[in-house]
Amino acid sequence: MRSISLIFKQFSRSVLLLACFTVWGISAKAQGDAAKGEATFKSAGCTGCHKIDTRMTGPALGPTLASETDDKWIASWVHDSQALVKAGDKKAVKIFTDFGQSVMPSFPSLSDGDVADIVAYVRADWKKIQDDKAKAAPAGGAVAEDKGPSDLVVYALIGVIVIALIIILVLNRVTATLERLLGSKRLLPEEAVVAEGAAVEADKYALVKRILKNKKLVFFIIFCGTIAMGSWTWVALWNTNVHQGYQPVQPIKFPHDLHAGVMQIQCQYCHSGAFKSKNASIPSLNVCMNCHKVVKTESPEIHKIYDALGYDPATQKYDSLKARPIQWIRIHNLPDFAYFNHSQHVKVGGIKCQQCHGPVETMKEVYQYSPLTMKWCIQCHKRTDINMKGNAYYENMIAVHDLIKKGVKVTPAQLGGIECGKCHY
Amino acid sequence: MDSNKKYWKGLEELNNTPEFVEKNKHEFGEPIPIEDVLSGEGLLGKTPRRDFLKAVGFGVGAVTLAACQKVPVHKSIPYLIKPEEVTPGVANYYSSTYEGHAILVKTREGRPIKVEGNPNDLLAKGGLSAQAQSSVLDLYDVSRVQAPLLNGEGKEWSDLDDYVKLELAKIKDSGKKITIVSSTISSPSTLAVIADFITEYPTAKHVMYDAVSYTGIIQANQNSFGKAVLPHYNFDKADVIVSFGADFLGTWISGEEFTRQYVSNRNNKSLQAKKMSRHIQFETGMSLTGTNADNRYPLKPSEEGVALINLYNAITGTTLPGSKKLADNATNNAITLAAKELVAAKGKALVVAGSNDVATQVLVNAINAALGSYGTTIDLDNNSNQYKGNDADLAEFINEAKSGAVAAVIFLDANPVYDYYNTKEITEALSKVPLKVTFAASLDETAALSTAVAPNHHYLESWGDDSAIAGYHTVLQPTINPVYNTRQAEESLLIWSNNAVKTYYDYVRNNWDKNILALGGLSGQKGWETLLQTGFVKAAAKPAGSYAFSRDLNAVAQTILTQSAALVASGDKAYELHLYQSSAIRDGKHANNPWLQELPDPVSKVTWDNFAAMSLTDLKKLNLQEGDVITIDANGTSIALPVLLQPGQAEGTISVAVGYGRVKGGAVIESGIGKNAFPLHSFRNGTVQTNAVAKISPTGDQIILAQTQTHHSYEGRSVIREASFTEYKKNPYKNSGKDGEHKDYKSLWENYDRPTYNWVMAIDLNACTGCGACVVACNAENNVPVVGRDEVRRRREMHWIRIDRYYSFNEDGKSVTEEHEIDKLKNVNNVSVVHQPMLCQHCDHAPCETVCPVLATVHSSEGLNHMAYNRCVGTRYCANNCPFKVRRFNWFNYWNDSRFENYLAEQHTQLVLNPDVTTRFRGVMEKCSMCIQRIQAGKLQAKIEKRPVKDGDIKVACQQTCSANAIVFGNGNDPDSEVSKALRSERTYYVLEELNVQPGIGYQVKVRNTTESEA
Repeated sequence: MRSISLIFKQFSRSVLLLACFTVWGISAKAQGDAAKGEATFKSAGCTGCHKIDTRMTGPALGPTLASETDDKWIASWVHDSQALVKAGDKKAVKIFTDFGQSVMPSFPSLSDGDVADIVAYVRADWKKIQDDKAKAAPAGGAVAEDKGPSDLVVYALIGVIVIALIIILVLNRVTATLERLLGSKRLLPEEAVVAEGAAVEADKYALVKRILKNKKLVFFIIFCGTIAMGSWTWVALWNTNVHQGYQPVQPIKFPHDLHAGVMQIQCQYCHSGAFKSKNASIPSLNVCMNCHKVVKTESPEIHKIYDALGYDPATQKYDSLKARPIQWIRIHNLPDFAYFNHSQHVKVGGIKCQQCHGPVETMKEVYQYSPLTMKWCIQCHKRTDINMKGNAYYENMIAVHDLIKKGVKVTPAQLGGIECGKCHY
Repeated sequence: MDSNKKYWKGLEELNNTPEFVEKNKHEFGEPIPIEDVLSGEGLLGKTPRRDFLKAVGFGVGAVTLAACQKVPVHKSIPYLIKPEEVTPGVANYYSSTYEGHAILVKTREGRPIKVEGNPNDLLAKGGLSAQAQSSVLDLYDVSRVQAPLLNGEGKEWSDLDDYVKLELAKIKDSGKKITIVSSTISSPSTLAVIADFITEYPTAKHVMYDAVSYTGIIQANQNSFGKAVLPHYNFDKADVIVSFGADFLGTWISGEEFTRQYVSNRNNKSLQAKKMSRHIQFETGMSLTGTNADNRYPLKPSEEGVALINLYNAITGTTLPGSKKLADNATNNAITLAAKELVAAKGKALVVAGSNDVATQVLVNAINAALGSYGTTIDLDNNSNQYKGNDADLAEFINEAKSGAVAAVIFLDANPVYDYYNTKEITEALSKVPLKVTFAASLDETAALSTAVAPNHHYLESWGDDSAIAGYHTVLQPTINPVYNTRQAEESLLIWSNNAVKTYYDYVRNNWDKNILALGGLSGQKGWETLLQTGFVKAAAKPAGSYAFSRDLNAVAQTILTQSAALVASGDKAYELHLYQSSAIRDGKHANNPWLQELPDPVSKVTWDNFAAMSLTDLKKLNLQEGDVITIDANGTSIALPVLLQPGQAEGTISVAVGYGRVKGGAVIESGIGKNAFPLHSFRNGTVQTNAVAKISPTGDQIILAQTQTHHSYEGRSVIREASFTEYKKNPYKNSGKDGEHKDYKSLWENYDRPTYNWVMAIDLNACTGCGACVVACNAENNVPVVGRDEVRRRREMHWIRIDRYYSFNEDGKSVTEEHEIDKLKNVNNVSVVHQPMLCQHCDHAPCETVCPVLATVHSSEGLNHMAYNRCVGTRYCANNCPFKVRRFNWFNYWNDSRFENYLAEQHTQLVLNPDVTTRFRGVMEKCSMCIQRIQAGKLQAKIEKRPVKDGDIKVACQQTCSANAIVFGNGNDPDSEVSKALRSERTYYVLEELNVQPGIGYQVKVRNTTESEA
């Protein structure tokens, strides 16, 4: 696909060039052709810095060109903006300074007609966008944020009501029974009738009674029950505070599968601390902005980043007063008394991130892949060979040589890596 | 082998009092009343069945409900825009300065958590005092003034500026006086700012004074040599040091620097070269320096002058008028002997005196000049800037203020309402000054009387510089954004004086660019950046000239004698009072710091209080017990303090520490700690003097001092070994147990393998001065909680390292070996002292490990004794079984319990915690880990850099801060490491070696340079 589009690009560019030369000779008609303009706009490389409706490196062309009517000036700006700036043209200087003095490349190859086409296209497109917006506006309305009571409270209330109902019912039954009993006591003759009824009922449960009298069976059932309960308790206790699979909802739907998977961005590009620090560190937002200043600027999730930074994409300005931090929910929680250092494992040990964090590159939302229990740590420390190649720290260590001589595998455990104080201090 | 000399921590131990025996029977101060429960009432107590069932039901229900709670959701909040130099989890270090010392400030994620000495610091070479170590805690103090105040109301800075500028302008027009009262300022840039301020307001004047004054020395130098400066002393060049009450290893001028210099002539290296300096101390109360002296003689304040005259006479062979023999024969002989030794060491001798009396210091100058000390041990040309205050200047200001001539006073780093000797006078004077501005960081006594408080930054938030010694310039840079709405005092002065330079940073830059950078061969932006990394510049030192003394001493001697006569306490219950600074609290500026308050005094081992130290003889005479409260009446004021029995205290004297009894300026202070002794000073002969005659009377009250003296006792086992220098020269192995007396013990356990490292430590008892900086360094590094006065009384202090202080008697060359010999002693105050830092010994056959039922304390393959807090269930068997008594039990959740006046319960102070070390919970045992977090970090750094761990890469906190380098830590498996070399020393012995627990810490025998003739 890419090669085809490349060929198409080159082809269209040459066609355009040809067209330019033809047009050159005939006329320099001011009125542009919007369709031709669109093609030129996309092929000549304008899109690298401009959009119709939003500001990028250069100004948002829609509003700018709607207010700028001097088409000749526009053409001369496109041909060589710096010449205008140097000449001290007021408008030119203003744009130049407003946009951080970034130089717009000169396009001497575009004829006045091409420029006119582009301008026509931009104005038409801008008008369309404006119209669409006008239509959409009344339909949109403000989306009220749901600030109702949380689910837990609702369920708890329901639960309380249900329990209250049950209690009321039970109490009603009890009162009824008591009243009946009271009545039966007063009317002594009815006693016999009640007793007879009881005898009939007793017959109904004869089978149950017989089973209950079979002590072996009862013992067997109790025994099985105990074992089942016991094993359940055992498993439950072992898994207390183990949160394997923990997958909280994050404030921003950051797709690791897209970034690490499809886009193949290195883990350490964002989690740069993993190589040098005990914390792998969640990237600060300026790392996000390296790309997302221009990539996917319209996405509502990206806008959450902008909001957090107090960044206005229209003006490309940061307002630190509006900035507020993003509160990510921590997935991998080690207890306070366990010391873990990423650089020891990633930089020195050469362990892949995935070994502990799982296939993050396929996770849409990240979950806790490993149990993060002490058993899990120790197992790995016992099984893994130390990555000592080219590391003079280990190569010069006599203890390591002794182990190799003995033919023993050199694991972290062999060098004291499973002692209490190595992680707990 | 055992030395048969008797060592004791306190007289209660020496006399084996019933209380002492009873307390020592139990591992912990308050035993759990199990016996009471199991016998007598305990078992007969009735709990009704229904109550029992109710309690059980409630308990089960409550626990079940509590367990239903969901796991808390942990938030992880990254930086919005991360500063480039910050990596979360990695510490940044900034060079800065504290009281003229070049320091390094360790910051984590933008907050300072520890102060460390800069190894290149010229003064202490990486050593740092307890005060500097604890200064980081003050930064997060919630009792700091958090916004500017005007008449007690919180204001904006602009309001305050408008008010002050308007008032100053009015005063300028009226021509009345403005006075800036400050303690000594040694920062060149601050002095320049003040000079600029005076240019703007020509009626302004700068008065410097010090709470503990050195005016005596400065004026004496002016008098003798025409140089009104504090000289720079070189104790490292002195072979014989004689000190008259100067606590030069502790509080006198530059303790850390002098410690380094002093120890360089007494440490292992020096001893191996068969060289050791000689130090004789004459003093009233037992000071830190006195405890380290080779010979120490108690001397009354009234006899000090006579003693100095006698010394002068003996050295020069002249006879000054009024010289007479001292009452005590031994001291008399000692003076003669000292004179002989000093003369023999001419050019390498040094005499110092702690007195603030000009005449006394002139006489000391004469002695030093006669000994040729100037140019060698005393340097007048590269003077010290550490103290420049002049007592007379402050007195003059007070007189002016009282007359109404002063219209404005600005206090910078000064609190005269607390520390001026005459409280009434200064209060009266201040009431006549309409505009009183203070830069106090906390609402101290002076701030309470001020109209405007312009809170100053903490030094860790400030730009600036310092110059402790002429030619040595250190730079101060901020390590955190201001915690509160404060502003640097210098900046306020710049604004108020309409200076063209608006920020103090620019001012400092300009000053350095123009005047200072070039001294170190630096220039421009690059030079400035280099400076911020190195921390200081050093100009080439001027050659130290020798000075001859040519003044007539007759009048001087006469003044001294008159003053001495006035100090003689006559009559019943009259005593000679001696005021001193305690090692921890000093002049009281940092009294609000709980780390310092809980640091036991090096000599008395008292925490959280000051006291009246008296000798045993006097106590017996007065029929007083330790802790009895007496009122001390001197200089027109009286204070009530508990009595402390101080061995070595001169008879007929009382010593009281200043710096306590602050009433305003922070939560810790306001809880009421000690009494203010500054008003007991008196103004004589142009200076504030620390001696007076005091009347005492018992009040009948009693206070239990929070004294750690006999906590953690060894039940009389011998742990100290010492030898005299003569013995050492004959046999370096003397008393170390290695000279044939050493036994090989059979071991019950198998030896552990230590294939990779063997972390061990060597502590030189001859280098350790007992100052206690290591204790505070350990607190800061390992998140050791403060427990407060009451808990210390219950013997529950949490310090991982303690300094044990042992007394022993010396008389006529014999040492006392048996308890019953004590009664026969002629002079019970002639004691010598040994300090021994005691921390977990990381025994190879650790008794604690074998008794732990849950294997919470186990041995590592690197020779360390690990403690896994999360495994500990708090049986405390280990503490019980530890022969060194170094394990500490968390009786409470100290770091998060509001019942304790604890710094960690406060809002910001948790920020000071070291995030690499867990805080321990209630019910858990803890102890020294040998800074395992530093060991692990050091190894990791080596792995990342793909190189073996180098010796010296890893320094433990106590070792790092020690100016004396008494502690050496390292890998014992490496025969070339410093620690291996130190442990191979002939003097090395292990404490309680005979138990065969095989400690990982070797101590080196204390050597005392006592001469045979008079030892």
